[in-house]
Amino acid sequence: MVHRMQRRMLRGAALVVAAALVLAGCGIGAGPTDVGLTDKPVTLTMSWWGADARTQKTLEAIKLFEADHPNIKVEPQYADWNGYWDRLATTTAAGDMPDVMQFDEVYLTSYANRGTLLDLQKVSSVLDTSALSPDTLDSGRVGGTLDAVPIGAAPNGVIINKTLFDQYGVALPDTATWTWEQFTQAAVQLQTASGGKVNGVSLFGNDAFPLNIWARQHGDQLYGSDGKVAISPETVASYFQRELDWIKAGASGSASEWAEGNGNTLDQADIVTGRVGMMFIPAGSLTSYQSAAPKFTYVIANWPTDPDTKPGFQYLKPSMYWAASARSEHPAEAGLLINFLTNDIRVAKLFGVDRGVPANPKFRDALSAGLDANTKMAFDFTAAMATESGPAPAPTPNGASDVQTMIGRYNQQALFGQLSPEDAGKAFVEELQRSIDAAS
Amino acid sequence: MTALGELRALSAPRGMQSAREKAARGRDNKAAAIFLAPWLIGLIGITLGPMLMSLYLAFTNYNLLQNPQFTGLENIQRMLGDERLGASLLVTAIYVLVSVPLQLAVALALAILLDRGVRGLPLYRSVFYLPSLLGASVAIAVLWRLVFGGQGLLNALLSLFGIQGPAWIAEPQTALGTLIVLHVWTFGSPMVIFLAGLRQIPRELYEAASTDGAGRWRQFRSITLPMLSPIIFFNLVLGLIGSFQTFTQAFIISNGTGGPADSTLFYSLYLYQEGFSSLRMGYASALAWLLLIIIAAFTAVNFWAAKYWVFYND
Repeated sequence: MVHRMQRRMLRGAALVVAAALVLAGCGIGAGPTDVGLTDKPVTLTMSWWGADARTQKTLEAIKLFEADHPNIKVEPQYADWNGYWDRLATTTAAGDMPDVMQFDEVYLTSYANRGTLLDLQKVSSVLDTSALSPDTLDSGRVGGTLDAVPIGAAPNGVIINKTLFDQYGVALPDTATWTWEQFTQAAVQLQTASGGKVNGVSLFGNDAFPLNIWARQHGDQLYGSDGKVAISPETVASYFQRELDWIKAGASGSASEWAEGNGNTLDQADIVTGRVGMMFIPAGSLTSYQSAAPKFTYVIANWPTDPDTKPGFQYLKPSMYWAASARSEHPAEAGLLINFLTNDIRVAKLFGVDRGVPANPKFRDALSAGLDANTKMAFDFTAAMATESGPAPAPTPNGASDVQTMIGRYNQQALFGQLSPEDAGKAFVEELQRSIDAAS
Repeated sequence: MTALGELRALSAPRGMQSAREKAARGRDNKAAAIFLAPWLIGLIGITLGPMLMSLYLAFTNYNLLQNPQFTGLENIQRMLGDERLGASLLVTAIYVLVSVPLQLAVALALAILLDRGVRGLPLYRSVFYLPSLLGASVAIAVLWRLVFGGQGLLNALLSLFGIQGPAWIAEPQTALGTLIVLHVWTFGSPMVIFLAGLRQIPRELYEAASTDGAGRWRQFRSITLPMLSPIIFFNLVLGLIGSFQTFTQAFIISNGTGGPADSTLFYSLYLYQEGFSSLRMGYASALAWLLLIIIAAFTAVNFWAAKYWVFYND
């Protein structure tokens, strides 16, 4: 009898738990219906990635917002780039996506197409996007809905540790007109002059941005307007080959040196610790690198070219976006926070160009007065590149959000000689296309 | 067996029971159920429920952001053509087959040394046990990066002898080795179990053996090993199961990539990448079940083989 009772209890418990699981597991519910503001206390979660400098400034901005809206509390969730997206995927699956998120172009389509992002047009009563040009705003639209508000844009450039070049008496070529040959030579000279203590240039790494610029320098592009992979395996192979050439010429450290630092945070990057003289970066991060390494003087320069490189290879990549969760319980407040981040001049002053040169012209005006040297440099560089930019590339298609880990993986296989650059390029293109096909 | 027998005797109905006794038993049962409830809720909510869910997900296409779609055996088909799955199985197999026996050997050797009656035994025992407590932690993995990095402690030491060491954690040939060393270093917990086992071996056996003229090696082979075989078996099973699931160390040391060039792509790490980075949670669930099957098979073989080498002295 006792046994039967226990069995009954067990069965009851199992049923309750199973029901709870099924309910919790049954993914995306209905979207929010109420988009009005409330006077009741509201807690928003907000997440971003970035170096320490960015985190401090963002926390300051949050304080300003909270002072303006005493009933809203903003809970920050910040992480390094590595881990940010794993965590976002997990929290999204758990129905616990942050209300407001910093977003990257690479992931935007993948999340927007799957209905996880709030259509910000629904909160247009509190979120004013009129300051942004229609073209700029369009980069935040995926299939007719406004899924994210662009924060800014920035070209890709070469950050140069001037202090190290001066210290070892290596003359920099004229970076306004430098060729790939001069670039490599400068890197080799620095590495030689330092007796190997400093490497000339960091390898390209996992980022899709430099690969895209490389492709555009060679008349190619990463994605086509049809949402498919457009880059040819040969272009990818030449990209990996260039890195191998640098290692061989003594312009870069070994593959293992690079692999060891791969995935380090910005604050620990070789360019910050003084292990390397040059590196390819999104220009907006210049100020982050500078604040991580106050003892060095950095400058930024355009990519080197070959004599036959056609102009227009540069482009201003929409560096980041603000987006909100489609399942946010407080969409109006989330919109209000994005409005503050997009339009409040105090934010412009706080953030500078760390998230790219602002998309909002009023922010740019506010910035041009009273800039510190580095911010001004990144600002001017971006303005100069804007005049040289070619047409914007096609957005990263749905299913290609994994592109950076793929680049990193095949890059390593090529660098460690497990695949020839040709085979690595071919395998990369195939895998990326498969991943896109699987998502559509 | 004896413990089970006792249990059975206890639970067998005892001929006559008074109503009071019955009521008391009922109360006891209720109390037991309440005390068990936290564990039961944990088992169902945190272990069993998610397991069943993942079994379902293993047959779906689930990108974490949308509801899963049933796709039948597609994930299993995908496994057959998955090169990285093969690579991760190889990495894991090498790791398990090298590090588990090595760790047990070190643990046993030190246990025997300590069992000789070293002064300050409790201290040594604690010191040796410490790495076991820390081994799977993030902090130790970070420490490992500092020790085995290109500019790390080990290379600083080697440079004193004029040797220029490589970046151990960043060379495809040596990265897995550093993780094996890390696993062996956490020999403390099997060592403590071995120590306890050694204490159980009757001293008379050794006395009788030495009277018969058996040397130390002979005594070790003919007394210590057979008498200790149940303990060795226990440690082996635990070690195998644990090391198949290695994740933290590999994740931290390779910054989550399984690099350099997939040389530390442990099975669990690959599973994690597929599920959380590539947003293929359905496939990752299928991978998890494959791992469960592999571990179960290994353990079953182990138990079967145990009949031939494990000696139960009862």
